[in-house]
Amino acid sequence: MRPVEAEDLIGLIHSKAADAVVKVTNPRPTRIYAEVKPGCHREVIDQLLEGFDGLGISTITGVHDRNQIELNYHLRCGGNILTLRTRVPTSEPKIETITDLMPGAILYEREVKDLLGVEFTGLVETERLQLPDGWPKGVYPLRKDCNLDEVSLQTNGGQALEGSNNEETLSELGNIEVVFGPQHPALHEPEKFLFEVDGERVIDIKPRLGYAHRGIEKATEARTLLQDIYLVERICGICNSAHTLCFCQAVEDIADIRVPDRARYLRVIAAELNRIHSHMLLLGSAGLELGLESLFMYVWRDRERVMDALERLTGNRVISALNTFGGTRRDLSPDVAKSILKDLSELRKRMSYYRKVFEEDPTLRLRTLGIGVLSRASSVRLSAVGPVARASGVEFDVRKDDPYAAYGEIPFEIVTFKEGDVYSRLRARVEEVFESIGIVEYAIAHLPSGPYRVRVSRTQPPGEAVCRVEAPRGEDVHYVKTNGTAYPERVKVRSPTLANIASLCTMLRGCFVADIPSILVSIDPCFSCTDRLAFLNVQNGERWSLRADQVSRLRGGRDGR
Amino acid sequence: MALGKLVKWARLKSPWALHFNTGACNGCDIEVLATLAPRVDVERFGILLKPSPRHADALIVTGPVTRQCEQRLKLIYEQMPSPKFVVAVGACACSGGIFRGCYNVIGGADRVVPVNSYVPGCPPKPEAIVHGVLVMLEEARGA
Amino acid sequence: MLALALFCDWVERKLMARMQNRMGPSYTGAAGILQPLADYIKLFSKEVIVPRQASALLHVLSPILAFTIFVTSIFFMPIDGLNVMGNPGFEGDLLLVLVLATLAVFMIFLAGWGSSNPYSEIGAVRALVQFLGYDIPLMMFASAPAILAGSLSMITISRSQRIPFALLIPWVFVLFIIVLQAELEEDPFDVPHAETEIVAGYETEFSGGQLAFLKLSRDLQVVYGASLTVVLFLGGPLGPAPVGPAWLWSTLWFSAKILVVIVVMEAVEASCARLRIDQVLRGNWRLMIPLAALSLVLTALVTPWIHGVTGSV
Repeated sequence: MRPVEAEDLIGLIHSKAADAVVKVTNPRPTRIYAEVKPGCHREVIDQLLEGFDGLGISTITGVHDRNQIELNYHLRCGGNILTLRTRVPTSEPKIETITDLMPGAILYEREVKDLLGVEFTGLVETERLQLPDGWPKGVYPLRKDCNLDEVSLQTNGGQALEGSNNEETLSELGNIEVVFGPQHPALHEPEKFLFEVDGERVIDIKPRLGYAHRGIEKATEARTLLQDIYLVERICGICNSAHTLCFCQAVEDIADIRVPDRARYLRVIAAELNRIHSHMLLLGSAGLELGLESLFMYVWRDRERVMDALERLTGNRVISALNTFGGTRRDLSPDVAKSILKDLSELRKRMSYYRKVFEEDPTLRLRTLGIGVLSRASSVRLSAVGPVARASGVEFDVRKDDPYAAYGEIPFEIVTFKEGDVYSRLRARVEEVFESIGIVEYAIAHLPSGPYRVRVSRTQPPGEAVCRVEAPRGEDVHYVKTNGTAYPERVKVRSPTLANIASLCTMLRGCFVADIPSILVSIDPCFSCTDRLAFLNVQNGERWSLRADQVSRLRGGRDGR
Repeated sequence: MALGKLVKWARLKSPWALHFNTGACNGCDIEVLATLAPRVDVERFGILLKPSPRHADALIVTGPVTRQCEQRLKLIYEQMPSPKFVVAVGACACSGGIFRGCYNVIGGADRVVPVNSYVPGCPPKPEAIVHGVLVMLEEARGA
Repeated sequence: MLALALFCDWVERKLMARMQNRMGPSYTGAAGILQPLADYIKLFSKEVIVPRQASALLHVLSPILAFTIFVTSIFFMPIDGLNVMGNPGFEGDLLLVLVLATLAVFMIFLAGWGSSNPYSEIGAVRALVQFLGYDIPLMMFASAPAILAGSLSMITISRSQRIPFALLIPWVFVLFIIVLQAELEEDPFDVPHAETEIVAGYETEFSGGQLAFLKLSRDLQVVYGASLTVVLFLGGPLGPAPVGPAWLWSTLWFSAKILVVIVVMEAVEASCARLRIDQVLRGNWRLMIPLAALSLVLTALVTPWIHGVTGSV
């Protein structure tokens, strides 16, 4: 099938949706912006869905601009990003939902609703997504005129409301405050999921996110673009390289900065080392979740090689801060390059061993084969990203579809599996590590000489850009809008795990309660949800809550409550 | 007296830890986990990672404490039986770090629970984390 | 015996650590050998919190009872040729010991149940269901050495083993070890209680001294299981006693054999992932029990032939 080109998209818009669209611009080969008349966005999306079956939604950005709120629907197709832009008045911010057309958009609409106050008519789930439960109504942090100094959480007799009604019901049942607690050595950011179970099967699931919501997008507006690199980096410590790369590339796009070749290759090296360490981390965590602690110990021991390599290259183990506007902050010396290559060849041998473990260990296979299946069709419909999508047979990898940095010049394979179960997702990551090792070796061997950085001014011209990279967990999207000062107008980040939540819900429906942790770990959640799961027994309306690790002992239903 | 010394010895040699993430970026969390892995292996010091606060002596806090997590943090601290310690790992847990001033962030674990040891870094290396815990234990021994 | 339990705890932790390429407890006493001691002293010295809604009586009593019962059951094991009470046991003390263990686990279940915490309850139920389920094949397998020795007295069984039964009826021995793994809740049957992992299951709400008793029960359960294996299959305290008091050598041999069993169990634990509870239970009903029945029949058939060959009674 011929890959979709920008002309195809523009052509379809002009032919099928001409009267819904005011203007179409194509500032870069793979970036299209279409101004859509108010209320006509559904029509355009409908036509696009009919014309292209690989259409997915990456995210929805809301930007508040005095008396109107601009909504950008970032759709992806082939290697292109088509942004549909429409506006609603701030006094009456209402727009129709698109979740019936594109179910993958549900979390994005809820986020815009939560943070900007836009009402999506027809949207079924409307609980708070990111903001805490006691957050006062009518206060929308991302609005420019929002006064945050006076926000205090609504309290309930002196204690801030925490959790939704579930919590109150729980205390009525006489449960002891079970701790919200760790228990998963897998790092996680606390999140909450409400499961509806019938006996031992999960019927439905509702995620409650926001425990780790720090208000980063708002914070970026109060810091200069340069400072924002360091802020954006800490959205997620594990895939920090992807975030800085995406952000830097977005700003470089706006300001038309050409990054030197050497820097592009260095960026690839850092990104791939990042990917390797992230995948190995996940494999170890999967070991813990599945009860194979030895796997965790062995994998993390070998992972230390990668951490050392990162430290030699960037100066820090985890948060690398290598990328900056115009290139990278540090260069790669030949000695360091040699040591990295040595580490990687050792790592290759170890990964072969792990590949064997996954292929042969009977207890592992019992726990992962055929569990939590995500079909290819669902994957596409829900706009899944990353290894989750690839393990279901969808060949979606931003490095190939929309090449950035030096990926266009480096040969590598996209790893896909067909089954879409927990096993495939874990195996896909094992294989991707091999590919990444190959990429780093190639990049080091073909590292161009020359400067690794160009100087960039503190302020950038006004403009906007959408950038995406393939983070270890999938497509990471940054939308940056500048206004001619040193401070950004708006920075929107959609990290990959958010895109996979809808798919996660699909995987979990119909599964055994006891399989929940292994399915959760297989999507490699960056805000992991393993600390708190609430259960609702549909038959008697009883609600209770468990830690996910508790769930692994559970069979649910008959004996357990 | 001898029993007191014995008890003190036992407490310092067997510090069981509970790890709680109050909205961190995961950077510190993975370094805390890395202390369990073979390279650092905190079990050498008798430190075990425990799931239930009722089993723990030390609370390892990461993250700048988002508003949603504030109550949880307090609750966990109260559920731990005394004697107990709190270790704030990472710049965010020490003072809010780079997120200080953000609207959903309280800013530092010591705004919510008393902290015995601050381990700065973004993230601190696993060796630094272990050092922070051991120094705290040494001081407790002297006290 | 307590020392043995603590020692075994240390052995388990060091073994597991080594198999995972780590050191394990190292600085508490030489090579960390005093670590379990430190753990228990610390636990006893902590504030005890009994959750408001928990049944205080159950919460306090059940761990102690579990501990006591396990201790009692080990008392009956012929560790040094005689059991702790100084007599050679009685006919049927094998059954007594097995029943006591079940009772002890029931205590543990009550401990979790009385915590009024859903996680504890679920953990407790799981533990009980798993133990009771696998108790059936355990008893069946335990009967095999009894058949071979023609007696239900543990001392007689262990004395009959000039050639250890592990070699004479190996199929029973191997299956017994697997079932033991399930009874002791070690990987891959780790479901109700993960020793190295986090979740606390029925232990969740316990702190301080109560937790210590629960943990001690657990350690003793391991010693109990290993002792049973040694008595039934590895010849109990039998072994050459070159010089010095016989009881010293018996104790040493017994302990050494216990350690061997523990090594084997740890090796299995380190290399297996955890099975789901339904997989565990299914495996029991569909696989283990039929196998147990089969092997019992096989043993009965083979016994006369073995007696003939080895010349034992």
